[in-house]
Amino acid sequence: MIKKFFLFVFTFQCLILFVHGVGVNSQDTDKDKVVLKLELPKPMFVGTPRNIRSPNLEKITGKMRKPFYVPKGTKLLSLDKPVSASDMEPIIGEKEFVTDGEKSGEDGYYVEFGPGVQYVQIDLEDSFHLYTILVWHYHSQARVYRDVIVQVSDDPDFITGVKTVFNNDHDNSSGLGIGKDKEYIETNEGRLIDPRGVEARYIRLYSKGNTSNDINHYVEVEVYGILVK
Amino acid sequence: MNNKTVFRGVFLLVILGAFLFRLVLLDLRPMHHDEANQAVKFGNLLEKGEYHYDKNDHHGPSLYYLSLPIAWIFSGTKFASINEFTLRLIPVAFGVGLILLLLLLKGGLCREAVVFAGLFAAISPSMVFFSRFYIQEILFVFFILGAIASGWRYTRNRSPGWAAAAGFFAGMMFTTKETCIIAFGAILGALFLTWVFQKGSSRPIKPFSWTCIAHLLLGLGAAGVVSWLMYSSFFQNPKGPLDSVLAFGTYFGRAGEAGLHSHPWYYYLKMLTFSQYGTGPVWSESLILVLALVGSISAFSAKSKEDLSPLFIRFIFFYTLLATAVFSLIPYKTPWNLLPFYIGFILLAGNGASFIIKAGKNMFFRGAVVLVIGFGIFNLGMQSYRANFKFYADPRNPYVYAQTSTDFMNLVKRINDLALLHQDHKQMLIKVITNPDETWPLPWYLRSFGRVGYWQKVDAAGDLAEIPIIISSIDKMDDLRPLLQDNYQSEYFGLRPEVLLAVHIKRDLWDDFLQRQAVR
Repeated sequence: MIKKFFLFVFTFQCLILFVHGVGVNSQDTDKDKVVLKLELPKPMFVGTPRNIRSPNLEKITGKMRKPFYVPKGTKLLSLDKPVSASDMEPIIGEKEFVTDGEKSGEDGYYVEFGPGVQYVQIDLEDSFHLYTILVWHYHSQARVYRDVIVQVSDDPDFITGVKTVFNNDHDNSSGLGIGKDKEYIETNEGRLIDPRGVEARYIRLYSKGNTSNDINHYVEVEVYGILVK
Repeated sequence: MNNKTVFRGVFLLVILGAFLFRLVLLDLRPMHHDEANQAVKFGNLLEKGEYHYDKNDHHGPSLYYLSLPIAWIFSGTKFASINEFTLRLIPVAFGVGLILLLLLLKGGLCREAVVFAGLFAAISPSMVFFSRFYIQEILFVFFILGAIASGWRYTRNRSPGWAAAAGFFAGMMFTTKETCIIAFGAILGALFLTWVFQKGSSRPIKPFSWTCIAHLLLGLGAAGVVSWLMYSSFFQNPKGPLDSVLAFGTYFGRAGEAGLHSHPWYYYLKMLTFSQYGTGPVWSESLILVLALVGSISAFSAKSKEDLSPLFIRFIFFYTLLATAVFSLIPYKTPWNLLPFYIGFILLAGNGASFIIKAGKNMFFRGAVVLVIGFGIFNLGMQSYRANFKFYADPRNPYVYAQTSTDFMNLVKRINDLALLHQDHKQMLIKVITNPDETWPLPWYLRSFGRVGYWQKVDAAGDLAEIPIIISSIDKMDDLRPLLQDNYQSEYFGLRPEVLLAVHIKRDLWDDFLQRQAVR
């Protein structure tokens, strides 16, 4: 019995030494490599930055948009056309502001919808070949609107025949699919979207907050096209 | 309010209210550029024991040294384990502490005035906002009030203890902010003007004696010792005390410059009287201003009583007048710089509220006054709630100044999420290529990451081909695009109003992130 006990203890100790030895070996291997210590530059301490409250209508980056060519006969279709929205009670303004032709960045010209994913929908009252969609979310401040998705359809409920003409939801956080279009900074030029002549009556524009706050704004949306014959 | 117990009970409620207002959701507002600067400076002191006074920026050492005990208690000695709540506990403590200091003004102000002043300090939107802000300002106001209160106690009994206390507080003012020179000037000017305008007082200022001069030297000694200890980093930086004097050259220059923070003379008074930005709400602390006016007038009409001293109130009036004038005439202005003179308005308003209530001969008048003041206090409380819990990072709040946007926290979350996926986790290499004023508060929020480098130019940042995450200013994008090509996914995040940062994520890491998102 005592022999068996010592045999057990001896075997157990051998096992521990073996495991330890393997560990040591692996550590020896690791010892060949060390973490490369990088001397990275430290941040520079600076005083209070400028406080900006005033409107900025200048472009932050890039140049003025180049001329955009459309077929002859292309007309503005969206002016004063009916607008509906996912948020039935805007925080500020009226949903009709979206198509009223006023593009000023000042207060009183934009409609403000609640936080999260929200959309506005324009009814062109007929089917058109669409050649340009121009969107101004809010251009009195440099900001980026998140998950800008523009879809068109002949179905007012956007169940059938939905075509996506712009999508910059790169992480699919709005759940309408991953978009490959780039995010952009709002300017007074608006964002020009090329629907490439797609045929539709309804235009739906989504967004999900922006880099300044989590709410959604529209100053104006313009849709240009030609009536489908 | 003749009953001592009632006074104590009401004052205790004021203290509790002030504490709660300051403490709740203390980490709600993203760290401001200046807070992050201070926090990283403090981190060096906490982890390495290193602090050297910088005569060009960041003010005096008191904030950092006074942060140490709270950090040790709540978060230990590792900078990465410190959080916003712990750091902001320091201004909270001093914001509440300054209300407690009002008790020392007994005899200068009557009990009712002390309670009202405490109440105004407890709920004033500006006082609450900057009592939740990890910068020097509220500490500075605490030390100013401490110096005034100790000085007042000294005039009552001429004890060396109060002389030393006044010196200690004056020393702490000096170790907190260079603008102490304005406060010292306003205090000395107010003392002189009070001496000139002491007519009508039944208790004129006693002439100085040799004992007083000895006490003055004692006070100066206390101020000198405190300043020397702090500025020399407790004997580690012998040059510090000299730099603390040389710093006045820097700050005099900055005060007169029409730089980033140049505002008109009426900036502070307008901010306190009436502010409205765009479609935002109206902000006004006019109740305090109007009552301060009443309190000031009463100082020149009231006679000395057992429980108040018109001379003391005149002193506060002159201090407030001089400090307000100097701070207003200096072109350099930021919202928090109003506090050192606004505390004077609050004391005068306390006196004004008490005076106007007592002035009423009949119950109807008194009741009406209490009702109006009560409504004003309620309104101030609501504004304070809005300023601190609703519009805490919204530029429509007048006290929000160059504040980090709430969207910045999405950037922080994104980087933390990506670090979970990257093989090196928090040792993942991050290159930050930003202009200096667009860098903060990144160093605070990236404090737990082991390998973060900061550059100001793209070509100085070395090879960018295999860097998992690059954070850049928008004006660096033109230089970055050809280097990053399609190998990176870029995202924009708001840093401050009008200021965006771009985060460029290595394509394989981004694809991994998208896959994980899809699985969820």
